[in-house]
Amino acid sequence: MSKVTTLAQLGKWSYILPALCVLGLVLLVPLLFTFWMSFQHMPIGRPPTFIGIRNFARIFQDPLFYHSLRCTVLYAFPAVGIKAVIGLLVALFLNQRFWGRGILRGIAIIPYALPLFIVCVLFWFVYDYRGIGNFLLRLGGLRPIHWLSYQYAMPSIILVNVWHGWPFFYLGFLAGLQAIPTELYESAEIDGASSFDKFRSITLPLLAPVFWIVCGLSLMWTMGDFVTPKMMTGGGPADVTLTIPIATYKIAFLLGLNYPLASAYAVAVLPIFVVLIYLTVRRLG
Amino acid sequence: MGMKKPWKRLFLIVASALLLFWVFFPVYWVLKTSFAPEEEVWNMGLPRNPTLRNFRDIFSVRQGSMVEVSGAMLSISPTIVTPLRNTLLVAIAAVFLTMVVSSIAAFNLSRFSYRGKRAVSSYVLFAYVFPPFILMVPITVVMRRLGLYDSLWGLTLAHLAYTIPFATYMLRGYFLGIPQELEEAAQVDGCSRFQSFVRITLPLSAPGLVTVAIFSFVLSWGDVVFATVLLNTQEQYTLPIHIGFFLWGGEIVDPGRLAATALIAGLVPAFLYIAIQRFVQMGLVAGAVKG
Repeated sequence: MSKVTTLAQLGKWSYILPALCVLGLVLLVPLLFTFWMSFQHMPIGRPPTFIGIRNFARIFQDPLFYHSLRCTVLYAFPAVGIKAVIGLLVALFLNQRFWGRGILRGIAIIPYALPLFIVCVLFWFVYDYRGIGNFLLRLGGLRPIHWLSYQYAMPSIILVNVWHGWPFFYLGFLAGLQAIPTELYESAEIDGASSFDKFRSITLPLLAPVFWIVCGLSLMWTMGDFVTPKMMTGGGPADVTLTIPIATYKIAFLLGLNYPLASAYAVAVLPIFVVLIYLTVRRLG
Repeated sequence: MGMKKPWKRLFLIVASALLLFWVFFPVYWVLKTSFAPEEEVWNMGLPRNPTLRNFRDIFSVRQGSMVEVSGAMLSISPTIVTPLRNTLLVAIAAVFLTMVVSSIAAFNLSRFSYRGKRAVSSYVLFAYVFPPFILMVPITVVMRRLGLYDSLWGLTLAHLAYTIPFATYMLRGYFLGIPQELEEAAQVDGCSRFQSFVRITLPLSAPGLVTVAIFSFVLSWGDVVFATVLLNTQEQYTLPIHIGFFLWGGEIVDPGRLAATALIAGLVPAFLYIAIQRFVQMGLVAGAVKG
């Protein structure tokens, strides 16, 4: 390679360097640090010592780890499924032509426009015993309940996540619907296809690529959602909403102040996220 | 066809009503509670004697907000002023840094080709979708080492982990949509490559820049993860931490003022989002639909 092209290459790199430095400092270095810490024992006031895989051995023997994995699955999968259904229904609805559609499209993104911590505050009011949730139950002739009790906490925080997150699906699906050429529907009509036929053989297949990307992103973010359980239940009552992010947080900052163990926790679940990221990003191109 | 019309109309009305109810039932409660006097906060209907007192109270300390706990006077809900200022400062600093760093990086990714570019693009995309909770522990340690623990600068820096990958990825898309010939023409007229980017491409992508800036602002404004682990004293708390003190043992303390605080904290991002509503859809899913 001649000297000129080497210089040109360096010039190109200089543009991206600031971004790489910052991302290195806030992402790569901490990530590598997590790996390193997960193999250490770090008592306060003494230098860290290498203890091999003992942290991991401790985690994999701990029933709480499997419990938190189960909680994460029980939290994320229903949430993503319900969000997808609501998002699809609203996208189909707001893809119709009618008066007032523009305003409704604006209103539909309000839940997503509010930061998640504000959404949690909204639902503190909904789930208070004197709040709107029990008002609606009474209206339907049902008994009021304690929404964040052991029995109902998980469905309740799933509802919070669903309420905040469905417009992401709606936006994705609406863009997907708008990208479907209308000629397809017209020619299907000429062939005598019913509305259901058109939905099944045109809309759904053509929406599939968007569907997988949106679901992948949402599944990842829902599994990694720290805010909702933290602000609604703190992982309780009796660990019934102890998802992985909350478990990591509690080990590191509340219970043991055990950074290495918490790091091992994060490293142990990292493969799940890496696989999900790989599958999703491959589609994003 | 004639028979179908009224049914369709009824369907549209019912669906609209359902959607409005679904979106507004939690919002309504906070709206009306923020204007309710103390004795009416748990009433279902609109307050009969609406008042702005809650808003006045969260901006000024008054005796009533102090409670005595084992001999010491504790303020159960201090004013919103400090957390609001902190949140604003962090968000503005994060947006500024993000826009400078990301627009240059995105220009690079959209215009140049060189060895290793694919790896850089993948890294940015990977960072964009990466769940931040995994960084909670190590970022705390790194910030302690840098002496930036419990400081707003440290928090700003941590927020760049959200904003820079996202902004770079989105701006790259915008820049790709702007014809390269315009820059080339400017270069023929004597601009350097960087000048042609600053004078031609940047002004042309103004809507994209504004959209990305607003998204970054909202990301920083709404951050709970890093604020929870990095901030430790009341002077440094941001809104999400501040608002957490309204819940004690699962019970809401002072619903009126909580609602007023939530309204102010929620109105800013909601307003910004609605302002760029036309670009939101485009921005969020442009990449997704292309694939």
